[in-house]
Amino acid sequence: MAAYRADDDYDYLFKVVLIGDSGVGKSNLLSRFTRNEFSLESKSTIGVEFATRSIRVDEKIIKAQIWDTAGQERYRAITSAYYRGAVGALIVYDTTRHVTFENVERWLKELRDHSDSNIVIMLVGNKADLRHLRAVSTEDAKTFAEKENTYFMETSALEAMNVEDSFTEVLTQIYHVVSRKALDIGNDPGALPKGQTINVGSKDDVSAVKKVGCCSS
Amino acid sequence: MGDGNTMKTNPTTIGYHWNEVSGYHSSEVTLIFIESSIGEQLRRSRRASSASGKCCCGGGLREHNSPDGPSRNKSALEYQREQKRLKKWRKMIGVGGSDWKHYVRRKGHVVKRRIRKGIPDCLRGLVWQLISGSRDLLLMNPGVYEQLVIYETSASELDIIRDISRTFPSHVFYQQRHGPGQRSLYNVLKAYSVYDREVGYVQGMGYLAGLLLLYMSEEDAFWLVVALLKGAVHAPMEGLYLEGLPLVQQYLFQFDRLMREYMPKLGEHFTEEMINPSMYGSQWFITVFSYSFPFHLALRIWDVFLYEGVKIVFKVGLALLKYCHDDLVKLPFEKLIHALRNFPEDAMNPDTLLPMAYSFKVSKRLEELKQEYEKIHGKVAESKSKQKQLQLA
Repeated sequence: MAAYRADDDYDYLFKVVLIGDSGVGKSNLLSRFTRNEFSLESKSTIGVEFATRSIRVDEKIIKAQIWDTAGQERYRAITSAYYRGAVGALIVYDTTRHVTFENVERWLKELRDHSDSNIVIMLVGNKADLRHLRAVSTEDAKTFAEKENTYFMETSALEAMNVEDSFTEVLTQIYHVVSRKALDIGNDPGALPKGQTINVGSKDDVSAVKKVGCCSS
Repeated sequence: MGDGNTMKTNPTTIGYHWNEVSGYHSSEVTLIFIESSIGEQLRRSRRASSASGKCCCGGGLREHNSPDGPSRNKSALEYQREQKRLKKWRKMIGVGGSDWKHYVRRKGHVVKRRIRKGIPDCLRGLVWQLISGSRDLLLMNPGVYEQLVIYETSASELDIIRDISRTFPSHVFYQQRHGPGQRSLYNVLKAYSVYDREVGYVQGMGYLAGLLLLYMSEEDAFWLVVALLKGAVHAPMEGLYLEGLPLVQQYLFQFDRLMREYMPKLGEHFTEEMINPSMYGSQWFITVFSYSFPFHLALRIWDVFLYEGVKIVFKVGLALLKYCHDDLVKLPFEKLIHALRNFPEDAMNPDTLLPMAYSFKVSKRLEELKQEYEKIHGKVAESKSKQKQLQLA
């Protein structure tokens, strides 16, 4: 096994879910982050989609396994099963449709009901490039994120704005929680071959990472 | 109803011959619409669809998504064979479908065999309506579709609009913003969401309606969706879309078990790699393979699906796994997921895949597994609303 196998070469493997109302741009955020692609002609997601990407944090390679879920409420019967074992989540709303922001509260509840309580959550306001159509102010979202103890960023999958940063921030924060916990599994990537749970630590740990991340625009 | 091929609802009707609709063959079917704004809309969308060359027997009008698959040049011999086949089909159907039921009763096995070989593309729309029972629904409910489209409002309108341009986005018929394709798709979905408010609109239904609209008018497509979801001929599909998606869960359970019985080695590998069927199979059932499979294959699956029912979805799923079995058993989790969502080009050949699918005998096991599932989870709910019972003769 002399060959370098980039795919399997990682120190940590984190499972992350992308949730939020239908049509807010989850699938394009994922394709922008994992393949640097954006499609104006994308299909609505039926069920779940999946992609991965590795990034480097503190000389460690962190591999993200990202599950992109169908946004329509009816699909939660299938998609909520994917919250299990997730250590990070991006709750996406559309900055041009206020109702998608209002629904974030329900997504949060849904997530907290089904996932580990220590999950790292980022609120993501996508389509920030559509400035003339903005319906949710940055201030409102920031205030909400502070209240809910989640990170927050505004993104544009179309313009590739903050997409990299938002995912990287979530992964870095998960890494901090995990490395601070100094879990044994950290040194043994082989123990985590496929998207199983990584324990992010106790409640106390997460309160330490609760702060509102940078935001832009 | 006369000879069964006309639908007269109003003395001031305007007749449209099938050849105008399809731009191809003789006036076998005369479709008559009521003179109204919706009639006009329907006509316009039909003209547009004939203009875009949606139906053509053996021709090459459809450059993309050709029903025959990747650009095939036909030899003279093949052409002759096709004409002969067409003749047989025409005889079987009779004028405007008048002989169909008689033929099916007398020679059901012949019909089944011919359908499995693929319905000729220019007859597909008509045959789909005949075998699904939707034509009877249409004839028994004159004016209903118009009522639903024009006078009713739906809570799902915005959801539907948002998905219209995200349904078959690369198909030429649906590409033009607010074009005839997008408009008819919207109308059918909205009408259904009003017709059946408990199901309403669920993502995935657009792929059903979208596929049908490539072969028939809005009203015909609407009644075919009704026939499928309410179970005119086969088990109702509405459970795929009801709250909790109960039928999706049941089908995935059944599929998982069947797969493990037929391919124990692969089943074991899936267990080790923590692959569960919702990671790859949900859209197979929810959209009957129309979401991500090439048209030429999806159409052939739909031919059989409408005649034989949902078991073909199980069979095709099993065939896909079997076809790729030896590769799949070697792949680790991520590559496995990728492979299960991107089957190789050569697996997409209906003449290879479908015979393989037919070789799986699943009916009996499906029934047993259904009972097993019901023992654990209770019976899969069907729509509570009784007022929408089908009025089939």
